[in-house]
Amino acid sequence: MFNFAALVANENMKIYRRVRVWIMLGLLVVLSAAISIIASITSSSPLTMWGMIPIILMILMPLANIFCIIIAADSVAGEFTQGTIKLLLIRPWSRSKVLLSKYVSVLLFVLFSLVVVYISTFLINLLVFGYESGVLAQQTFQTMDKEMSAWSYVNQFFLMEFISSTVTVTLAFMISAAFRSSGLAIGLSLFIVLMGSSLSQLLGLVNKPWVDYVIFLHLDLARYIGGANPDRGLMFAGTESPMTLGFSLAVLAGYYIIFMALSWFVFTKRDVAA
Amino acid sequence: MQLKQVTKRIGNKTIIDNLTLDLPQGEVFGFLGPNGSGKTTTIRMMVGLMRLTEGDIVIGGSSIRTDFEKAIRQVGAIVENPEMYKYLSGYRNLMHYARMVPGISRNRIDEVIRLTGLDKRIEDKVKTYSLGMRQRLGVAQALLHKPSLLILDEPTNGLDPAGIRELRDYLRRLAVEEGTTVFVSSHLLSEMELMCDRVAIIQAGKLIDIRSLRPGGVDSNGMGEGVPGQVLFEVDRPDEAARLLQEEIRTADGVPAKLDIRSAEGSILLDAMREDIAELNGLLVRGGIRVYSIRSVSKSLEDQFLEVTGGESVV
Repeated sequence: MFNFAALVANENMKIYRRVRVWIMLGLLVVLSAAISIIASITSSSPLTMWGMIPIILMILMPLANIFCIIIAADSVAGEFTQGTIKLLLIRPWSRSKVLLSKYVSVLLFVLFSLVVVYISTFLINLLVFGYESGVLAQQTFQTMDKEMSAWSYVNQFFLMEFISSTVTVTLAFMISAAFRSSGLAIGLSLFIVLMGSSLSQLLGLVNKPWVDYVIFLHLDLARYIGGANPDRGLMFAGTESPMTLGFSLAVLAGYYIIFMALSWFVFTKRDVAA
Repeated sequence: MQLKQVTKRIGNKTIIDNLTLDLPQGEVFGFLGPNGSGKTTTIRMMVGLMRLTEGDIVIGGSSIRTDFEKAIRQVGAIVENPEMYKYLSGYRNLMHYARMVPGISRNRIDEVIRLTGLDKRIEDKVKTYSLGMRQRLGVAQALLHKPSLLILDEPTNGLDPAGIRELRDYLRRLAVEEGTTVFVSSHLLSEMELMCDRVAIIQAGKLIDIRSLRPGGVDSNGMGEGVPGQVLFEVDRPDEAARLLQEEIRTADGVPAKLDIRSAEGSILLDAMREDIAELNGLLVRGGIRVYSIRSVSKSLEDQFLEVTGGESVV
């Protein structure tokens, strides 16, 4: 097990010893600071910490997601593009373990980027607007639950984001293992995930049972927090929607297993040719 | 290491056809072939990057098919160009590979760096390295875990003459002192000639010849079995000498020995074992032929290579 940790340490070194990853993470911090500071200077009415946080999260989360997808898509495909995969796979480690170490490092990056967003959002808004206690989620995030505090909402929000990020990142990781060209893998993954939200709007109009199983309808888990209306933002024309948190999680779990199985199958079976 | 009837088919195209090789420990073995003959495919199969369609490859008693981790543990390799992580320093690249095999100390990393002459630039990023330096780094990562089989694909590519010589001397020393088996593929025939004990020549995926490169009919790789070499006798009457030898000498199959008579030069050329050369000389002298000189002639590998591959650029 200790040795496997060394493998993950290698993958982490390959992620964090590059300038680009620090530009990405730096951008998240700078953006969150810039929005708060500009808002506090330009706004005519007085702003509060809890007034700003939902806006910043709405902007930073998709961005953090995109960065995670880039890292995931580049993880396997990048090795093929650079040609380093040859030297990586001729070590006394099975391909499954090499792939697992990459996957673990990608999940760690997802976790790390969410932590960066969490800390920078709170710290910056706290500094700019001052602390505001006893705020309810109903005021700031429009939840149905009248008792829930804003803090508790945000914590659950990050948990949900972590789950849905994990699924999209696993999709990107699968594409990465299958296509072996980092440009193509990054482009295709981003396209699929970004198209997903518009596609889910469109699918909302289709009155067929299979629509409920399309992955894009389930990636926005945050809408279930605090007993919020599960159909928020979605148009299910006259159908009895089965959408609940449990159902969404089950569908995502199904996709997750498929993505993982395909990644493993492709990576361990295929020849590494020029 | 053994390759047993290794076959690789992609679709219905046979890339490697029934290739069998046996490399004793401590041998420097050359692997030659024109472009597209399947050298790199063979190497990729040897290190487990490609699957074998048929046959097996056994390294130190472990099959690469069924016992990959154990087999590959003994292998250090460069496959084609030594691509490294360009955004990492040379040292971090080595550390990356060192972490993947248990028991490599920092001392060993430093030792390999010194050995490959990278001391001054090891902290620089690999993207600033020249091709020759990347090649050295490639050799360094292959040597880290003291492999008993070293597989090098075109290792002299990009090295300067001093570097080539250093590498050649080092490989020979590894083979002799540590018993490392070295498997080298190259287009540089003259280079192979200086480096290798034996060479295999493949063409269109088929093994067409294996030759020993130690001249004089003495097998220097410790296999104990003599291999005949070409010997040139300079004599006063070559035709008569040839007739004399053909009357007296029979090969194992009972046919007269094959001779090449070069009347213009006043010499005859024939294949002989080292032990037999003295006998042949005695025979000639007793027959009244005046022998001026006896030399063993080794054809250059380039001649041999072109001879067996027919000089074609087969793809």
